[in-house]
Amino acid sequence: MLRFEATQLVLRHAGNRPIVSNLGPTTDELWHAGHRDRNFYTYGNMGLCSSIALGMAVSTDEQVISLDGDGSLLMNLGTIGTIGREQPKNLIVIVWDNEQWGQTGHQPSHTAMGTDLEQVAKSCGIGNTETVSDLESLESALLTALEKPGPWFIVAKIQEVEYMPVAPIEPEMTLYRFRNSFKE
Amino acid sequence: MNWAEIIVQALKDWDTSLIAYVPDISIHQVTGLIEADPFFHLVSCTREEEAIGVAVGSYATGRNSAVFMQSSGFGNSINALASLCIPARTPIPMFINLRGGPGEFNIAQVAMGRATRPILDQLGLIHFTLDDDYKMDKIVDGALKLCHANRQPVAVCLTQLLHGGKLA
Repeated sequence: MLRFEATQLVLRHAGNRPIVSNLGPTTDELWHAGHRDRNFYTYGNMGLCSSIALGMAVSTDEQVISLDGDGSLLMNLGTIGTIGREQPKNLIVIVWDNEQWGQTGHQPSHTAMGTDLEQVAKSCGIGNTETVSDLESLESALLTALEKPGPWFIVAKIQEVEYMPVAPIEPEMTLYRFRNSFKE
Repeated sequence: MNWAEIIVQALKDWDTSLIAYVPDISIHQVTGLIEADPFFHLVSCTREEEAIGVAVGSYATGRNSAVFMQSSGFGNSINALASLCIPARTPIPMFINLRGGPGEFNIAQVAMGRATRPILDQLGLIHFTLDDDYKMDKIVDGALKLCHANRQPVAVCLTQLLHGGKLA
């Protein structure tokens, strides 16, 4: 499964729900798949994608989707514990797991060596978890997550391919557009 | 009002109802009040940079937020401030228990405590230090107003002289 195709799939089903994207290719590919005001792109703060999504989820009734990454989440595993503690019913965490730190030279990440992020989520009290490795399974898991109260934690195994051009992200404008979309 | 109640009132005056924090014995005098008050949602985090992320997410949906931490934990939050709050311009008030001043008993708290305000200066972030509660209501209220006007984090450093601190 390619991350870009998976991102397009998520966008097709997301409607107007807020999406937070992890730094680097995840943010770039979300922008290329479809720029919208409800995309909260990050381009720094490695590890905080799902923490930001958690802060959104406890502050809005809308469902919030986090597009995180294995390397980033490994930097801030504690946030899985905080999600388990808070139990936000409207939070869906999707981890693009390529089992590597792609941008730094494709070094294998811990998920290539046995770390199972779905089991981490389960042990932190997140009751709804899946690990998927093809688009059909991802679509099925996502549709269930959009229907059934969360928190949800979906590990999506992806292949790493050529990177897309860097998206023209301006953090200040990202926040401005995103925040204003909640005032309408 | 005592110093803790002054902070709680200022947060309410600025409609700041999402508080992310890492527990600390000295600022527990404030976070204990916050936890008991249904106006607030207090999120207990595992690490201070995570608290910054949670606070930013809340602000992004239109709900004002603030963080509480100790100066040692401020050290854990620097990249979140530098790579998220500053470029995105998020007005997150930070209440920091500033260690390393008069009365400090723990050698391990001195260096980070002393470095906190110089690091804030290097990041270009405004900070105020409270050693006592003289004009504290005006300073905290003014810090929150400035935070939102400038759309950048502002730190309010609370010293052991103010809150009594943790004794050896």
